[in-house]
Amino acid sequence: MIDYIVSTLTIGIIWTIFAYGLNVSWGWTGQLDLAPFMFIAVGAYTYLVLVGGPAPANAGPSVHWILGLHLPFVLGLLGAMVVAGACALLLGGVALRRLRDDYFAITTVVTTLTVYAFIAQFTPLFDGYTGVYAVERPFETALNLPAEAYQALFMVACLVVLGIVYLVMQAIFRSPYGRLLRAVREDETAATAFGRNVYRVKLQAYVVGACTAGLGGAMFGAFLQAFNPYAWNVAETFLIYAAIFVGGSGNIRGVLLGSFFITVFVQELTRLLVPMILPGSPDAAAALRYMIVGLLIVGVLWWRPQGLLPEPQDRDTVLGLARGAGAGADPPR
Amino acid sequence: MWASKLQDILLGVGFGLVTAAIIALSTVALSLQYSVTNIPNFAHGELMTIGAYAALVAQRGTHFIPLQALAAALAGGFFAWAMNFFILEPFTRRGARNLVLFILTLAVSLILQNGVLFVFGGNDIGYNLPSSSPMDIGPFIFTGQDLAIIGSAVAIMLAVHLMLRRTKLGKAQRAIADSRELARVTGIDADRVVRLTWLIDGLIAGFAGFTLGASVGSLSPTVGNAFLLVIFAAAIVGGVGRIYGAMAGALLIGLAMEVSALYLAADYKVVAAFVLLIITLLLRPEGLFVTKRVVVR
Repeated sequence: MIDYIVSTLTIGIIWTIFAYGLNVSWGWTGQLDLAPFMFIAVGAYTYLVLVGGPAPANAGPSVHWILGLHLPFVLGLLGAMVVAGACALLLGGVALRRLRDDYFAITTVVTTLTVYAFIAQFTPLFDGYTGVYAVERPFETALNLPAEAYQALFMVACLVVLGIVYLVMQAIFRSPYGRLLRAVREDETAATAFGRNVYRVKLQAYVVGACTAGLGGAMFGAFLQAFNPYAWNVAETFLIYAAIFVGGSGNIRGVLLGSFFITVFVQELTRLLVPMILPGSPDAAAALRYMIVGLLIVGVLWWRPQGLLPEPQDRDTVLGLARGAGAGADPPR
Repeated sequence: MWASKLQDILLGVGFGLVTAAIIALSTVALSLQYSVTNIPNFAHGELMTIGAYAALVAQRGTHFIPLQALAAALAGGFFAWAMNFFILEPFTRRGARNLVLFILTLAVSLILQNGVLFVFGGNDIGYNLPSSSPMDIGPFIFTGQDLAIIGSAVAIMLAVHLMLRRTKLGKAQRAIADSRELARVTGIDADRVVRLTWLIDGLIAGFAGFTLGASVGSLSPTVGNAFLLVIFAAAIVGGVGRIYGAMAGALLIGLAMEVSALYLAADYKVVAAFVLLIITLLLRPEGLFVTKRVVVR
């Protein structure tokens, strides 16, 4: 039972890191990015081939993946962030430059499926459909703890990573740069008129979001100890979007709340309850979960588009002036 | 050696023509709806899926194939109309941004696809129509079913073309595609035209789902969704809102997919379509076959 709770919470924490990544590109900058799972997968694969070893010798000659460097844990995380960020720089650099937002979304999803097909078919890279596996969890032998204690410790490690991401996100949100991101989301023309390079701002946000997703992906890979094309698909992107919508787009605490609501509450509730109510239909749980997620997205957008915890409004920091009196401030709504 | 290779390619082209006919049907529907409403409908694949399953259910009651096709079209039409009437239209009236409408179609796609999964289960269900023997037509090999699919696709696309060019509804649709505000100012009941457009879109998409199910021979809840982005590729390559462009785009995409399947793994089949899509978006976002440059919003 404790095992179950610990692993569920660990997954919830990791998914919150995913959601923070998407919150930068969608929540703050307003780009409909349908490729987050590509960055998550790239992060997970990169982490596993950097931290893990080459394919086990007894697996036969057909099992093969690149690198296998046995690097330290932290370098694995950094490598995952760098590679995911580089992918975003490449994709965003091309797609954000000239495409309007619905074409951008279509391009991201199409790119994700292309990369998916490539990873599945080009076996020398990440071993195709079999995937990378048998990668030891960080410090598992060095610590030599009982399994339950190690699991709990791993959860704490995820929590620490989430805490760092949270603080970074908070710093970005409060900084002038965070305001710039939101300005681009609200009115590109106005941001351009104030001398900002909208394309560059969007691209930066896209890369920051992808790095965060890559970091989450690395933790995901470390948790699963393996990764293959069956571990990710485009539909799961909507779980992250649902988390952001329910919690509150752009609100850091809201994203945390929404992420746990979707990945822990909705996910586990359907996983546990549906088989009890409808035994003998193996697909019912997954079907109901995604139907609930779809209905939640529609319902939240209609009744509470700002989410449970709305994004905080900017306030003038100049004391003694009325709200909206500062130069460039939001007009009162 | 060269002769046998040519034979392979021609066979691929023959397969490609049937695939292209199905894609073309669905693309014409999507392209019409996309240009009139300006919403990229990601639930379009599910309209096809629902059409295919409706034909399957109808088959349990009747073996008369046109009735199965009719059931498919009606089911697709109903769900497309309902999605617009109950979800998209209220949001539009409230002034929702276009991206929000896009996300709503994604949510509807999730609901419908998993609704089908919930009702029919995830296993493949066979959908077999009485088969006819293959015939050699020139260098190609077609069955009677293939010819019926290609024929009905051509007929429906012709009908859509005539509707757009010769009827008052088509004129109104083209006006709304250019500018909904201006159309409204001139007295066009835009809401009504948009509702009708969704209905027509769904009728054609449902029928396309029937042809897809008949040609694949088995149904799963993702049967239509698997073609969604291929259809978007065809619509964008051909130029959104252009019926002939949609046909040409579907032909190009269908052939590219089938010919690539001769040389590359099956996973890369859709990638061939996606490469064409990305090239089009980057180089000629108004579509490959559009000669007049239009302002892309």
